[in-house]
Amino acid sequence: MNTAMLNPKRGQTSKWISMLQHIKRDRQFLLLLLPCIAFFAIFRYGPIYGLIIAFKDFSVYDGILGSEWVGLEHFRKFFNSFDFWLLFKNTLLLGLYNLLWSFPFPIVFAILLNEVRNQRFKKSIQTFSYLPAFLSIVIICSMVIDFLSPSRGLINQFISFLGFEKTYFMIAPEWFRTIFISSDIWASMGYEAIIYLAAIAGIDPTLYEAAKVDGAKRWHTMRYITVPAILPTILVMFILKAGSMFRIGYEKVLLLYNPMTYEVADVFSTYVYRKGLLERDYSYAAAVGIFEALIALIMLLGANVLSRRFGGKSLW
Amino acid sequence: MVGEKRITLFTVLNTIILTLVAVVTIYPVIYIVSISFSDTTAVAQGKVFLWPVGFSLDAYQHIFSEDRIPRAYLNTILYTAVGTFINLLMTAVAAYPLSRTHLFGRKFWVIAIVLTMFLNGGMIPTYIIVQKLGLINSIWAIVLPNAIWTLELLILKSFYENMSESLRESAVIDGASEFRILRSIIIPLSKPALASIGLFYFMGHWNSYFVPMIYLNDTEKYPLQVVLREMLIFAYAEETQVEGTKALTPESLKNATIFISMIPVLIIYPFAQKYFAKGVMLGSEKG
Repeated sequence: MNTAMLNPKRGQTSKWISMLQHIKRDRQFLLLLLPCIAFFAIFRYGPIYGLIIAFKDFSVYDGILGSEWVGLEHFRKFFNSFDFWLLFKNTLLLGLYNLLWSFPFPIVFAILLNEVRNQRFKKSIQTFSYLPAFLSIVIICSMVIDFLSPSRGLINQFISFLGFEKTYFMIAPEWFRTIFISSDIWASMGYEAIIYLAAIAGIDPTLYEAAKVDGAKRWHTMRYITVPAILPTILVMFILKAGSMFRIGYEKVLLLYNPMTYEVADVFSTYVYRKGLLERDYSYAAAVGIFEALIALIMLLGANVLSRRFGGKSLW
Repeated sequence: MVGEKRITLFTVLNTIILTLVAVVTIYPVIYIVSISFSDTTAVAQGKVFLWPVGFSLDAYQHIFSEDRIPRAYLNTILYTAVGTFINLLMTAVAAYPLSRTHLFGRKFWVIAIVLTMFLNGGMIPTYIIVQKLGLINSIWAIVLPNAIWTLELLILKSFYENMSESLRESAVIDGASEFRILRSIIIPLSKPALASIGLFYFMGHWNSYFVPMIYLNDTEKYPLQVVLREMLIFAYAEETQVEGTKALTPESLKNATIFISMIPVLIIYPFAQKYFAKGVMLGSEKG
């Protein structure tokens, strides 16, 4: 009777059998993969499943499944709140300024470094330049605050030396973006230049020699050889950065902002942290988190479309 | 060749600019160290600019006379050691099967893993999961939710893919199990790659403040970076009292703490550079 039932679906059965055979063949590999699968299931897909609390009124006692559904209530509350436009504006502006300002520096730095003929000088400058990449964000922010301090900070000492009023930089909303972005440039320039330096190293040296024979000056080789040669790299990096524009270093914002600068510094993720983890408004914060992730995803997909159209390159 | 030796205006300007960049980059680090070794009154009067003024080890004596910072230091060492070990073990064990082109369901596993780089639950649901698992306020809340970094896993996977098959095959003929091959052939052969991603893991643990801050409640369990953050908030309190000039946390104390937290980083930094650059390149290739 068994064979009679199996016969009409013979093809499918053999597919199942070959699958079992594959699993048996790969059993050692699959066993090795098991911790990884467990990790991704629990800590990466678990939270994605957990996002349904954004549509519920989550309470710790009822759990994710037991809590009551409220539909889009939290989203509605968020969109109607005064915070929404403020956060949207801050996130967008901070991301945009960061993209526009901190993007060119590593490129210029790499090009200038490439023009140095003395190898030892070149090497030491480069070595110094990525020291900040090894420092923690807490240390970097601590330096920023020290240097800008009105009582002892060097910058304020300099300002008063020139005869001007001391500025309370950290509590001045108009200074927040400048401080955030310039410290970011300081910390990441050397590190990001690595990629461009590698791209420059890949340029055919005969191009430079030919140009020199033709009487080209440094400036000309830089402009007509180096820059065009690394343009594809620049484009890809720009698109990558544009795609992650909304992923602002919230860990840094958390360290640098204070109630006096919330109006310009508060971004989606810091808001999620405050509402969710400090005020324990889990569901509302999760809804804000979903909204943020959605915008970030749209940005990334949009950047990828642009890249395919203009650069002929796609990130995947 | 004669042309190369000539000093042009460009060379002069370029040298000046690059030297300035280097000075701006390392000056704050030197400044911090100098403050930490300076006399407290000299610091308060703002006399320290480059080198220590009135050399003193008071700040360091103070740090080591209390439990707080040495304890935080030990915590950081513990979290970093355990964390990096688990990271490397989990990543190596996962990357090996994933690098086998004929692995059952390979495409599915890889897509499921890559997808998490773009889609994730975010801060709040992750916190709830960690809480549900009862990990809050323990080292496991720091170590387990980040046991594998996706990019590092993909980097190691592609490294394994490019490894020569012949050694593995001879081991298979000798009847070695896959666990054995991984342990005695693959892992020893991939030491440079493991060092490269291990460095990223190490730096990640050593410098992290946010994860320990949200998952640990006991101040006794705080790592150094979280303690530093608290000192920073005190610095803020001073900053926001517009008229107040009294420092709640002595500058030298904070900077001494920063310096001791930087020591391991500064030690590995010269050696790490090579791997660091390699890691950046690999990472950028994968996008």
